[in-house]
Formats: sequence, C-alpha cells, structure tokens
Amino acid sequence: MSTTTAGGSGTAARGARPRRRTARTRARIDDVWTYLGLLAVLLFFGIPLLWMVSLAFRNQQEILVTTINPVPDHPTLDNFGQVLRSAQFPRFLLNSAILSAIGACGAIAVAAPAAYAFSRMRFRGRPVLLVGVLALQMVSPLVLAFPLYRYFASLGLLNSLPATGLVYIAILMPLATWMLKGFFDGIPRDLDDAAMIDGATRWVAFRRIVLPIAMPGLTAVFVITALLAWAEFVVPFILLTSPAHLPISVGILNLQGTYATNSTGILAAGSVIAVLPAIVLFVVLQRFIVGAFVSGALKG
Amino acid sequence: MAAPTLDTTRSRQGAIARPHPPGSRRRAPDHLAWLAPLLAMATLFFLWPLINVIRLAFTNSTLLRDDYSYTLSTFGQALTDPSLPGVLVTTVIFVGASVAGQLVLGLLIALIIQRAISRKLRGAVLVRSVVLSAWVMPGILIGVIWQIVLNEGPFGLVNSALASVGLAPVSWLSDTKLAVLSVVVANIWRGTAFTMLLLYAALLTVNPDLYDAAKVDGARKLRTLWHVTLPQIRPVLLVNTVLITIATLNTFDMVLALTGGGPAQATEVLALHTYNAVFVNFNLAGGCVLALFLLLASLLLTAFYSRVLPEEQR
Repeated sequence: MSTTTAGGSGTAARGARPRRRTARTRARIDDVWTYLGLLAVLLFFGIPLLWMVSLAFRNQQEILVTTINPVPDHPTLDNFGQVLRSAQFPRFLLNSAILSAIGACGAIAVAAPAAYAFSRMRFRGRPVLLVGVLALQMVSPLVLAFPLYRYFASLGLLNSLPATGLVYIAILMPLATWMLKGFFDGIPRDLDDAAMIDGATRWVAFRRIVLPIAMPGLTAVFVITALLAWAEFVVPFILLTSPAHLPISVGILNLQGTYATNSTGILAAGSVIAVLPAIVLFVVLQRFIVGAFVSGALKG
Repeated sequence: MAAPTLDTTRSRQGAIARPHPPGSRRRAPDHLAWLAPLLAMATLFFLWPLINVIRLAFTNSTLLRDDYSYTLSTFGQALTDPSLPGVLVTTVIFVGASVAGQLVLGLLIALIIQRAISRKLRGAVLVRSVVLSAWVMPGILIGVIWQIVLNEGPFGLVNSALASVGLAPVSWLSDTKLAVLSVVVANIWRGTAFTMLLLYAALLTVNPDLYDAAKVDGARKLRTLWHVTLPQIRPVLLVNTVLITIATLNTFDMVLALTGGGPAQATEVLALHTYNAVFVNFNLAGGCVLALFLLLASLLLTAFYSRVLPEEQR
C-alpha cells in the first residue's frame, strides 16, 4: 500500500500527461514480459515436437551427430518410406481410424438421446442419474479392462475391433452426455414445444429441430471424443493382442521394440505420421474445442 | 428434388401412424426410452465389470487357469507385497508433482495468453495450438518423444545441448531419482493444456469491474491475482484439480514408453503396477485388489468434488 501511494504521488507531481505516458510505457514493458512468457512456453512445448520432426528427416549418419542442428544437412524421406512400407504401420493407422470412428459416432448416438432427456424432461432420479453419469467418467478404464478381458476371452472377442469399439463407446459416452446436455440446454425449449404443438412427436422434434441447431456442439463433441479415442491406450492394450488389430496408440510401442536405437529416425517418422491426423483435425477445428470449453465454463 | 418432399411427408405420416415412438407420453415413463441406450451401455461396460472386479478381488484367480475359489488371502498378499510401499511413494510423488506443476504452469499460460489476446499481441494462438498439440497426442508417443529428447545416446537433445556448452551428459532415464523427475516433467508437458484450457475459459468469466476496482484500490498484480482472480475461478480450479488428479493417478502409457517403470521400479506408478500384476505376473485377483485401490482413490476424490462443488456453484 505505502509503496503504491508513494509512486502515485510522484507521478501526480509531474502532471497529468507524463502519468498517462508512464501508464502506456508500463503496458509496453508488460507486453515485453508477455512476449517473453509466450516464447518460453513455445520453446518448452515446441522443441520436443520440433526435435522429433527433425529426427524423422535425418539419415542414419546424421542421427548420430552430436551437435544440435535442427535442420539436417541431407534431409531424407527414407524413414517415412520405411515406416509406410512396413507391414504393420498402415494397419495400425487404419485400426485407429476404425476405432475412433466407432467410438465417436457411437458415443454421440448413445449420448444424444440421453442428453436430450436430461435437458428437456424432469423425472424422478434425474439429479442422481446426472451425477451417476459424471461418476462413470471417474472410473479408470484400467479397472474395467480386467474383467472385460476375462469375458472377451471366454466369448472369443479378444482381437475383435467391433467389440473393442463398444468399450470405446462406453468410456466416451459420459463426457459426450454432459457436453451435449450443455449444448441442448442452450437451445430454447419453445422450439421443440412449438413443433410438438404442430403435431410432431418428441422424437421428430429432437431429430428435425434440436439436432440440426446443435450441429456445432455435435461437431465439438465428435472432435473431442475422436481425439480421445485416437489416444486411448489401456483398452486396446489389454483387449487387442495381435499386431494386426492394434491401433497406433499401442502399435508405436511395438515399433519402439522392433527397431534398435540406431533407427530412431524411423521411430520419429512413425511418431510424426501417428500424431499428424490428430493435430490436423485438432488445429482445423480448434475453434470448436476452445469454444466448447468456454461455453461450458460460462455456464458453470 | 422430389426426394426431400417425399421424405418429409413420409415421416409425418409415419409419426401419425405410429403415435408413440420413443418419446411418447402415454406409455410408461417417458424418459426411460431416451435413456435406455446409455443405461444399457453403463450396465454392460461399467456396472457389470465393477461388480466382477470386486468379486474377483476375493478369489485366487489367475490368468493361467479358469477355475478359482473364494478367499480373503489375496487382500493380505497384495497389501503386504514388499514392493507396494515403494510404488505408493512413487505414485504420490508422480501425481502430486504432476498436478502441482500442471496447475501452476497451466494458470501461468492461461494468464499470459489471456493478456496477449486482450492486448492483441501476436503469436498467442500459435502458442495455444502448440501446447494443445501435446495434449492430443497418444501417451505412448509422448513417452517415445521424451525418450528421444532425454536419451543418453548421441541423438538425445538435452544431453547434446549440455555437451555444446561443455557440460557432462546427465543420465536422465537411468538414474533412479532423475528418472522420476523426467517422468514428472514429461507428464506436465503432456497434461498442462487441459488445465490451461479450463482456466483460460474460467478467466474470461471474471467480471472486469473487479480488476478495475482492485486497481483503484492500488492493489499490485500478484495481490489482484491472489485476492480477486483466484477466488473468482475457485470452482473451476477445484474441478480441474480433481479431474487431473484422477487422470494422472490412472495413467501409465507415457511411463511405459519412457522408462518402462524402471530403472529398478523407480518410476513404477500404481496404475502400471496394477497392470503388471495381471499381465506380467498373471495374478488377476491381486490386480483386482489394486484396481479397487485405484477406484477407491478416484471415488474419494469424486466425493470430495461433489461435496465441495454445489455450495460453490449455488
């Protein structure tokens, strides 16, 4: 308190105009600090990614060079070629795409009607069920996977992508339900009431009116669940065992095991390819995701 | 062109012909049909497995044979396992340091980005994208990347950097103490984006008048942060803390790829230990006991969260 008063009286003594200028100068100085902060964050988060990309374009000799040169002298695409020509890697990518699609679409199909019911209907047990859905989110897939492994084994469903996809749907649906409920809450009830007065059933009102309006929300939920599915590890790690059925999130571990350390370039190239779909999808649709978080926080 | 019209008429007729599809009023409880898929999936893939985890914890089942008998001794064996104390200590350090690091760094980045965007400085969106890229990557990949960055071979980035300024290489992954530090740093790198997003969204909700009032009162920036900003975003901060604590407690993919739990179990967190119990030692019952442990910890955190939250929100 005392220091600020002293500083304030000092500037006041010099008159109004200099004070405005010092305020502006101070803002400029803060801008410099903000830029320095941005730079530090960029370096910490960006350098490991950049290093991976850099290694992916190097040949054997340049990987073993100890000096730090982010741009290799003789950039090569060999590593990418080797990864993509390997028998397993393209299969991993395809499996990831299948599982992500099943997981995201399925989670929305299961969650959307439930979210609509939570948003529009008042019934007994609603608060308990809502908290229950949230509680599902807290249950680790690791806990579920042990008994599921036993059952899938006895039913012959280990290494089945559709069966594993069902588990993906199950672990993604709590989040999807909560997010979609938030989006449906934002759509005026009058719209579906009007449709129902016109003779439409609730189901038709939901499909023809609410869902189309909630499209941005559905997109956000699709992107987030698909990304989570792309990165899901425990469930496929336990329920899928043969290399032909693994998604990339598990398969890269095989890649790490198969190649010796001197082929780090291949591993890096595989990592770049594995992460590219997620990052592209994400950067393109970033607006939706940040928007979903912001709208969620505003409501909370 | 005729098709859409045809389609709508058909559906309208359909609605009249079948007056009570899922959302009808006259049939028993209206909402049940809408909730049915969710409830069915929850029963099949949550409730049923959970009941069985509890049941199996009271058996001596292994992955090596199908038959088992009920016993209480698995609990005793799992809890007196000599490696358990070390695993628990590692888990507490890993979770505690990761959560603290993610909270501090996430808040800092959220504040920096908020200021950069409000001052229309360049690069804020780029920085946000890069931070978020780390978050959308599969954990195994993050482990692989940090394995490359911290590698003790010639392509290890950090050691190359140290060598270029004349320092000796550091055994980031083979020293038991440093390996824990490496795993924590990699996990902070991975998870900070989530905290950043949530807190950034929360910061936008703080009424700017409060900052002006603080400024009029002559409050310094740190004081404003502590007495104005943080209390305002407290509910989000709490939710966020619980969510990242549970997520960190249950993760082991990144650790598996980075250190494999080693050296000498130094980075073996409880989730990895649980997995190893079942799929390395084939001790299904023992793994289920540990899984119950994890579940109990998550439930306690959730209970804490749902207890604290309502009074905060309303």
